[in-house]
Amino acid sequence: MIHAEVIRIERNTPTVRTLYFRWDYEVKPGQFIMVWVPGTGEIPISLSSIGAEKSITVKSYGPASDAIVKLTAGSRLFFRGPYGRQFSVVNGPILLVGGGSGMASLSPLITKNTDAIVSARSADELLFSERIPEGRIIRVTDDGSAGIKGNPINALETVDTEKYGMIYVCGPEIMLKKVYDFLTFRKVRAEFALERLMKCGVGVCDSCSIDGMQLCRDGSIFSIDDLKKMPEFGRTKLTESGRRVFFNH
Amino acid sequence: MNKLKTTVSGIELDTPFMLASGILDENGYTMKRVLQEGAAAVVTKSIGSSERSGYRPPVIVEIDGKSMINAIGLANPGIENFREEIAIALEAGKPVIGSVFGSDAGEFVNLSKKMEEFGVTAVELNLSCPHVKGFGQEVGSDPDLVSDIVSEVKRSVRIPVFAKLSPNVSDMIEIAKAADKADAYVLINTVKAMAIDIYSRMPVLSNAYGGLSGPSIKPVGVRYVYEVKKETGKEIIGVGGIRTGEDALEYIMAGASCVQVGTAVYSDGRQIFSKLAAQVGAIMDAEKIGSVRDIIGVAIRN
Repeated sequence: MIHAEVIRIERNTPTVRTLYFRWDYEVKPGQFIMVWVPGTGEIPISLSSIGAEKSITVKSYGPASDAIVKLTAGSRLFFRGPYGRQFSVVNGPILLVGGGSGMASLSPLITKNTDAIVSARSADELLFSERIPEGRIIRVTDDGSAGIKGNPINALETVDTEKYGMIYVCGPEIMLKKVYDFLTFRKVRAEFALERLMKCGVGVCDSCSIDGMQLCRDGSIFSIDDLKKMPEFGRTKLTESGRRVFFNH
Repeated sequence: MNKLKTTVSGIELDTPFMLASGILDENGYTMKRVLQEGAAAVVTKSIGSSERSGYRPPVIVEIDGKSMINAIGLANPGIENFREEIAIALEAGKPVIGSVFGSDAGEFVNLSKKMEEFGVTAVELNLSCPHVKGFGQEVGSDPDLVSDIVSEVKRSVRIPVFAKLSPNVSDMIEIAKAADKADAYVLINTVKAMAIDIYSRMPVLSNAYGGLSGPSIKPVGVRYVYEVKKETGKEIIGVGGIRTGEDALEYIMAGASCVQVGTAVYSDGRQIFSKLAAQVGAIMDAEKIGSVRDIIGVAIRN
C-alpha cells in the first residue's frame, strides 16, 4: 500500500471534494488508483491531476467515499496503483463530454485547445466548469438551472463533432451509451471511460467485466471501435455477486 | 501428434493448462474469451446454493507484482443464475469444469447435479477455500465429512468429480485418502495468510485473513503433488504458483497430469496460457520429451 499526505482540499460542489497530494510517480490521463480507507473500504478513483502534485476528485456515495470526502489536510491517503489504460493523447482541438463526476477523469486532458460539454443534475453540481474558458464550454443541466436543459446529446447536436481530433467521454454508462449512439455513425475518433463495479483492480476477480474484457485492465478507456464489439455495453451490468442484470433505461 | 496433449479422468486436453477456479471465471463471456485465447479448459468460480456478494474491498493484496493474498469471500451469483454463464462459456467448444462449495454433502450433491445438468465436463469440489466460515477448508479438514461429500457426489453424477484439497491441514494424506472416491485431486488451494499495513497499523484485507497464491507457494504445491501422488497413485491436477514452462514441468514431473493457472493471469495477463504452451513445447523439444504423458510423475520413479 502506498501512502501520501493530503496537502489541501478543494470543495468543488456541495457533494464533491478534490484532495491534493504529492506522489512522485508518472500517471497517464484516465488511469485510476484504488484508494483505501483503513477499516472502511477501498474504491477505484481516477486521478483528476497528474502533475507533480496529484489529486483525486470524490463524490460521496458510500462508506469509503464518505470517509475520503471527510479527510482533512494532513491526513494520510492510502492507495495502490496506478491501474488501467490511458486516454490517447492527440494534438489539435479536442472535445470533452463529462457527466456528473465524470469530469474528474477528463480533467487532466484540458488544454488551451479544449472544448467541453459539462452536464449535471443542477447548476451547483457542474464539476470543473470554471476550468474551461467561456466560449469553449456548453453547460447542460437536467433541471435547466444552468445552460441547456436536457442531456449532453442536446448539446452535441449544436456542435460540429467532426472538427475534433478526439472526443473524450466520461460519465454514467447510460449517458455514455446515448453519446455512443449519437456518435457511432459520424466520422469521429472518440474514447469512453467506463465505470463499473470494481473489486480487485488488477484483472482477476471478474467483477468489472464486460463482454469478456476487464475494465480494470483492458480499460477503463475504450475507443468507439472497441465499444462496437461489446454488445453488453449500455445493456447489462454485473451486481456485487456477479449476477448479470439489465440497465433500466 | 500434439506432444502437449494430456488427459485427466478421461477428459482430453489440447495442452496441460486450465484456468484455476477463482480467477476470471465468474462471467460466461470472460471464460469464453480465456478459452479462445489459449486455456485448454476453465474451472468456474466456486458456485454456491444462493447469491453471495463476498467481502467488501480490499479483497486483494499484491506482493512483488507476482504473488497475492486474496479474500474475495466466495462471491457468486448462485447456482440458478449460473446456467446462462456456463452456456456462454461452452460456446468456446472446450471443457468447462464447474466448481461448487457447500457446507454438507446434500448441498454439494444438489450443486453438482445442477452443474451436470448445465453441461459441464466435470465438477470440482471446493473443500479448501481458506477464508470463509462454514465452507471450504472448514469442511475440508474433517475427514469424515470429506469422505461423505465425495462419496455422495460421486454416486449422484455421471461426470468426473475432482476434489480440491487444502494445504492448511495437519495431514493432507489423511484428507486425500478420505476423498479417494474422487476421480482426481486438485492440489493445492491457497495458503492461509495475511498482510498488515504498518502505517495504518491495520490488516489490509477487509476480512483480515486471505489465501496466498502465486510463485510464493509453488514449492509447497510441488511437495504436496509429489507426496500425494506417491502415496495414492491417483490422478492429480497441480495448481499453485505456475508462471513459467519450468514451473509447469516441475508439477508434471511431481505427478500432475495437467495444471491450473490462476495468479499468473494477474502477473502476465490472459496470454499466459499460450506463453506456457510455447515454453513447455520448447523445453520438451530441447530435452527430447515426446509427450507430456511420458513424464507425469517421472520424478517419483526416478
